[in-house]
Amino acid sequence: MTDELREEEFEAAPPPEGGVPSPSQHFASRFGGIAGAIGPIVTVIIAFFAGGLVVLFTGKNPFKVYHAVFNGTGINWFFHVGSYQARIPFSTHKMWFPWDTASIAAGNLQQTLLITTSIILTGLAVAFAFRCGMFNIGGQGQYLAGAYFAVWLGTSFQGLTPWVHVPLVVVAGALAGAALAGIAGLLRATVGAHEVISTIMLNWTAVWVGEYLFGQQGPLQGSNPSVPISDNIAEGAKLPVFWGLALLQGLSIGIFIALAMLVVYWLIINRTTLGFEVRAVGFNPEAARYGGISVARNYFLAMAIAGGFAGLGGALDIAGWQFNIGQNDIPVNQIGFIGLAAALLGRNTALGVGLASLLFGCLINGTSGRQLDPSIFRPDLAGNLTTIIQGLVILFVGLNLGGIWVAIKRRARRAS
Amino acid sequence: MTALAARIGGISWTSPRTIGVVGIVLGAFGFWLALPPLAARTAALPLLFGILAIAAGIWTWSRDERRVGGGAIASGLLGLAFGILATQSSTGHLSTVVVWSALIAATLRYATPLTFAAIGGLYCERSGVVNVALEGMLLTGAFFGIWGAIWAHSWAGGAAWVIGLLIAALAGMALAAIHAIWSVSLKVDQIISGTALNFLALGITGYIFIDKYGNSGTPGNVPDYGIPDVHLHFLSNWYFIGPILGQLNLMIWLSFVLLIATYIFVFRTPYGLRLRAVGEHPRAADTVGISVYRIRYIAVIASGAIAAMGGAYISLGFVHSFSENMTAGTGFIGLAALVFGKWRPFPTWGATLLFGFSSALADRLPDAYGNQWGTLFQALPYVLTLVAVAGVIGRSIGPAASGRPYEKQ
Amino acid sequence: MAEAPLLELRGITKRFPGVLANDNVNFDLRRGEVHALLGENGAGKSTLMNILYGLYTPDQGQILLDDEPIELGSTKAAIEQGIGMVHQHFMLIPVMTVAENIVLAIEPRHAGVLMDYDAARRRVREISDRYGLAVDPDARIDRITVGQQQRVEILKALYRGAEILILDEPTAVLTPQEAQELFVVLRSLKEQGKSIIFISHKLNEVLDIADRITTLRRGVVVDTVSAEGATEEGLARMMVGREVLLRVDKKPAAPAGPLLQVENLTVIDDRELEAVRDVSFEVRAGEIVGLAGVDANGQSELIDAIAGLRHVQSGRVLVEGKDITNGSSREALEAGVGHIPEDRHRRGLVLPFSLEENLALHDYRYPPNSRRGFLNLRAIGERARRLLQEFDVRGGVPTTPAGALSGGNQQKVVLAREIDGDPKVLIAAQPTRGLDVGAIEFVHRRLVEQRDSGRAVFLVSLELEEILSLSDRILVIYEGRIVGEFPPTATEEELGFAMTGGGRGAEAA
Repeated sequence: MTDELREEEFEAAPPPEGGVPSPSQHFASRFGGIAGAIGPIVTVIIAFFAGGLVVLFTGKNPFKVYHAVFNGTGINWFFHVGSYQARIPFSTHKMWFPWDTASIAAGNLQQTLLITTSIILTGLAVAFAFRCGMFNIGGQGQYLAGAYFAVWLGTSFQGLTPWVHVPLVVVAGALAGAALAGIAGLLRATVGAHEVISTIMLNWTAVWVGEYLFGQQGPLQGSNPSVPISDNIAEGAKLPVFWGLALLQGLSIGIFIALAMLVVYWLIINRTTLGFEVRAVGFNPEAARYGGISVARNYFLAMAIAGGFAGLGGALDIAGWQFNIGQNDIPVNQIGFIGLAAALLGRNTALGVGLASLLFGCLINGTSGRQLDPSIFRPDLAGNLTTIIQGLVILFVGLNLGGIWVAIKRRARRAS
Repeated sequence: MTALAARIGGISWTSPRTIGVVGIVLGAFGFWLALPPLAARTAALPLLFGILAIAAGIWTWSRDERRVGGGAIASGLLGLAFGILATQSSTGHLSTVVVWSALIAATLRYATPLTFAAIGGLYCERSGVVNVALEGMLLTGAFFGIWGAIWAHSWAGGAAWVIGLLIAALAGMALAAIHAIWSVSLKVDQIISGTALNFLALGITGYIFIDKYGNSGTPGNVPDYGIPDVHLHFLSNWYFIGPILGQLNLMIWLSFVLLIATYIFVFRTPYGLRLRAVGEHPRAADTVGISVYRIRYIAVIASGAIAAMGGAYISLGFVHSFSENMTAGTGFIGLAALVFGKWRPFPTWGATLLFGFSSALADRLPDAYGNQWGTLFQALPYVLTLVAVAGVIGRSIGPAASGRPYEKQ
Repeated sequence: MAEAPLLELRGITKRFPGVLANDNVNFDLRRGEVHALLGENGAGKSTLMNILYGLYTPDQGQILLDDEPIELGSTKAAIEQGIGMVHQHFMLIPVMTVAENIVLAIEPRHAGVLMDYDAARRRVREISDRYGLAVDPDARIDRITVGQQQRVEILKALYRGAEILILDEPTAVLTPQEAQELFVVLRSLKEQGKSIIFISHKLNEVLDIADRITTLRRGVVVDTVSAEGATEEGLARMMVGREVLLRVDKKPAAPAGPLLQVENLTVIDDRELEAVRDVSFEVRAGEIVGLAGVDANGQSELIDAIAGLRHVQSGRVLVEGKDITNGSSREALEAGVGHIPEDRHRRGLVLPFSLEENLALHDYRYPPNSRRGFLNLRAIGERARRLLQEFDVRGGVPTTPAGALSGGNQQKVVLAREIDGDPKVLIAAQPTRGLDVGAIEFVHRRLVEQRDSGRAVFLVSLELEEILSLSDRILVIYEGRIVGEFPPTATEEELGFAMTGGGRGAEAA
C-alpha cells in the first residue's frame, strides 16, 4: 500500500487495558544512533534557552548565571591541564597526571559525580520500566526505600567487616526498592491498575513512612533525641572513597557501581532473553502473549528490576556520602524525579541515560547552595530553575524532535 | 423511587457479588461499632465482624468475583485491625479523634480540592485526553491564587480573593493550554506531557514564590482577604448538622454547585453529548461534523481552570499561605478518585469524600496519640488510594479514546 | 433515459505518494436509483467515496450537484449538501443509545441548552417508521445486532436530510438474511426518491440490487453498464481484468492419524457470552480442514482456545493425543501448535522489532538462539537470513523493523516463523487478508506444502473461495456451533445456506 499508510501502521501499537497508551509507543522510534541524538540535543538547547529567559525575567544576567553554574560543576577541571602528581587510589603511591586532583574544581567534580551516581540509577529505574511499556514515576519512593534500609542495616551492625557490611547494605537497599516497585508491578500485572497512579501513591507513602521512621521518637531516630536525624552508619558500611577526602564527601566507588549498572542494563535489554521479553511486551503486549511470553510476569519483573536500580541508588547515596537521613531531607529530595528526566532525555538507552545523568548531575551540583555564589544567583531560586529546565526537557523530548525533523524533510522532498 | 424499588427487587441475594458487598459493609460496621458514640469496649465485636467479612470475601473470591471478594477481605482485615486498635485505646482518646460532626466538616474541607481536581479531570478525560497534569494545575492555582489576592489586596480590599480566584483560573488555563497543544495538536504522549507540566508548575511556582516572598513566605494577613466562610447562623443550633454545615468555606458550597452543573452539562446537554462522543469515538464525531480538536481544546483548558480553582481553595481558603509543592499529590488522588468514580460526577464525589475522610482522620489522630502516630497516618490517604486503585480501578473502563491522539483523515 | 443526473463526478483524480488512487474518474448518479460501484480491494472505490463525503479533496476534477459545481471541504459540507455515508466500520458510539447516536451534532433542545430526549426519540421513530427501519431508540449500540447498527447508520444519514446515501461494503458484516432485509430497506428508500451509491465487490449482490453498475480497476473506470443484461462473468472480467480462477493445484490428500482433536469445547468471549458451544472435530495429518462462517460466529474464540490464549469453559483440546486444554500459549506452542493469527499487526508481529527478532519471537529461549538466558545474536541473524531468502521476503534485511515492510511481506515473515517452528498443527486464520494476488498464491502454495509434508492444517477464512479451493474437508460454524461438514466439491450455495444457520438456524432461534 502507500507509504503513508505503512507509516501509520508502524506507529500504532494497541493500547493496553484501561485505554492508556503505552509510553513506549511514543519512543518506538527508528531514529536510533546519531539521528536519535538530534532530538535530545535540540531539547537541551531549547530548555537552557528558556531557562535563561526565566533568569532574565528575574533581572539577572543569564550568561553570568550559567557561567557560575558551570564553574560550580567542576567540569572546568578538565580545562586546566598541567603536570601534577596524583595519588593512586587505595595506595600511598603517586604518579604523574595531567590534572590537579586536589584543586577546588576537582572537589566540585567529585560532588557532581556523586550526584550523577544516583541519577544514573533512578534514571535506569525509569528506563527499564519504560522498555516494558510502563511509566515508573515511583523512582523517588523506591530510592527512599533503598536509603531507609541502608540506614537501618548500616547503623545496626557496628564493627562488622566492610566485606560483609557494604554488600549487605547495598543489596538490601536494592531489594527494598525492588519490593516497593514490585507492588506497583504486581498491581499492573494482576488487576491492571495503572502504574502512574500507584507509583505516585507509593512515593507519598514512602515519604510519610520516612517522616515517621526518622522523626521525633521514630524507630530510626538517632541517639540525640532532640534532632530528627538518624545515626551515622557504621564505618564498615561506608563505601571506600577513591578520590578526595572521605571527610569532605570525596568520590566513592559508587560511581563505578552505577557505571557497571549501565552496562548491566544494556546487557539485560539487548542480550538476554529477559530483555527480549521485556521489549516485546513493551512494544506490543498482545503479540508477546501470542508468542508465548507471560505479559504479567514481565510487568512484575520489569517493575521490580527497575525498583532495584532506584533502591540501589538510595543505598549508594547513604553508604557513599550521606551516611544518615534527616526527617527534613526526605520531602525535599528530588533525585528520583530527576532520574525521570534523565531517562527520557537519554531515550532510555544506556549511553543516553549516562550522559543525561551527567548533565543533570552538573546542573544540580552547579546550582546547589554550596557551589553557587548567592551574589550571582540565589541557590534556592536556582534549584527551582533546575526543576523548570527538567520540565522543559521532558516537555520537548516528548515531542520527538528528531522524528518531526525527518517528517518535515520528507514533506519538503515530496513537495518538490 | 420506583426505580430504586425495582433495583432493590432486582438484587439477587445469593449471588457472589451481593455477598461480597455485604462483606465489605460488615467489615466497616465492625470498625464503626468500636468508635464513639457506641465505642464498644470489647475486641470481640470487630473481631467477629471482621472475620465474617473476610469469610464472605473468600467465598466471593472463590466464586470468581475477585474484585468484590478482595474488597471484602480488605475491608474485613482493616475493620478488624482498626477496630481492635480502637478498643485498646482509651475512650477519651477516641472521643478526641472521633467527633463525627468535626470529622465530617474536615472531610468536606479535604475533599473539596480533590473534587475540583477530579471534576476538572472529568472534562479533560471525557474528551479523550488523559490528564496527569492535574497536580501541576492545582499547584499553579494555589500559587497564582494567593499571589493574585495579595497583589489585589491594596485596591480590592477584602474582596481580593475574587481577583485571586480569577488569576488562578487563568494560570491554570495557560498551563492546560500547553497540555492541549502538546497532546491534541502535536500528538505527544499525554502522560509524558502531563508529567512535564507537573515539573514546570513545580519549578515556576517555586521560582516565583522565592523570588517574590523569599524566606519570609506569604504575608500573614492573607486570612483577611482569603476566600470567606459562609456562616449559616440559623443552622448553628441544629443538632449535628449545625457544626457540619454552619461554617463551610464558600468554595465547598461552590464544589456542590460544580458537581450538579457538571452532571447536567455532561449528561443533559447537547454539548455534553458531543464531549462524550469525542472521547468515545472521535472519528464518529468527526464524520457528523463535530470538530474533535476544538472540543478537546476547550475541555482541556476548562479542566485547567477548574483544577486551578481547587488549588486556589487550598492556599486562599484553607491554609491561607503558600509553600513549595504544597499540593503534595492532591491532584493525583483527585485523578484516582475520578477513575474510582468511573468518570461520573457523583460517584467521583463519593470517592473524594472517602479520601477526604482519611485525611481528616489522619489530621485528628495526633491530638490524641501524639505526633509520631499522626505522622504515620498521614500516609493513609495514599495507601487508601492505592487499595482503591488495586481493588476497583483495574476494572473501571474509561472513555474509549482516552489517551489516543486523534489523527484527522 | 435522458434524465439529468442528480450528482456528477467529473474527471476526479487523486494521488497518494506512490499511488494514483483515482485517475480521471467520471461517475454520475440519477435521482431514485441504486448505482453500484464495483471493484477489488484497492481499486479506488473508497477513495472516490471519501472525496464525495468531503474527507479527501481531489487533486483534479469537479463535483456537480444538480448541475451546480459544489465544494466539499469537510464532512459537514457534504452533510449540508444532502450526502450521507454509511461507513464499512460503523461510526457509532458503543456506549450511547440509538437516539443519541442519531441526533448527535443536530440535537433537539428545549430551553436552548438542554437535550430534548423526548423529541429525539420521536424524530427517530418518525423516520424509522417512514422507511421501515425498525430500531429501539433507547437501546445501547453495544447491545444491538450488527444489522440493527447498520440501520442506525442509515437513520443517522436520513436524520441529517440525506438525499444521496453512500453505502460502503454494507453486506460485509451481515448474514445473507440480514443482507436481504437491507435490500428491502434500500428498495423502499429508492421508491421514496433517495439515490443510493452501493459499494461492493460481491457480484451477485450488485446484480440483485443495483440499477446501474460502474466498475473501477486500479483507479480507472472500466465501464458503466445497466444491471439488466449484465452477467457475473462479464462483471468479473471487468473487475479483475482476466478470468477469475482461484483454484490451487494440489494432489489428493492422504490423511493419516488425527493430530488435532477438539472435544466438546465451550468457550466464552470477552462479554462472558458463550461464543463456542460444544464444538468437536479433528484435523488429521496431511489434510487441510477449512472452517467456513460469517464473521464473529465464534471463529476467533475457537482459535484462541486451541492456541492457549483464551480460557476454556469445558471440553478438551488434544495435540497428537496430548491434552493441552487451558495450558498457556507457550504450552500450546511447545505441543506443536503453529498459529498464523488473523491480525498480523496486533498479534503476529511486534512492528518496531527487527525482522530477526520477529522471526525469533517463539524460539528466542531455546538453543541455539539463546543459552543460559543470553541471546545468541549470530544464530538469530543467520536463521533470519535463511528464512528471508527461503520465503522470498522483500524490502528488508534481518535488522529492518517489521513495520517498514509491505503487508504481503509482513505476512510472509509470520508464515516463515510459524512454518519453520516445525508445527504439528498449523492454524491459519485469514492468512491472505489484505494481500495482493501474488502474495495470496504464495501463501496458498505454502499451506498446501505443509499439508503434503504431513502436518495438520486448520484453515479459518471468511472467503468461501479460499476455503473451497484449499480444503480437503469443510466445517461450517454458525453461532458457535459446527453446523455441518462438507466435501470440497460443495457449492458456495450449500455452504452459504449452512453458514446462515439454514435448517438448524430455525430450531436454534
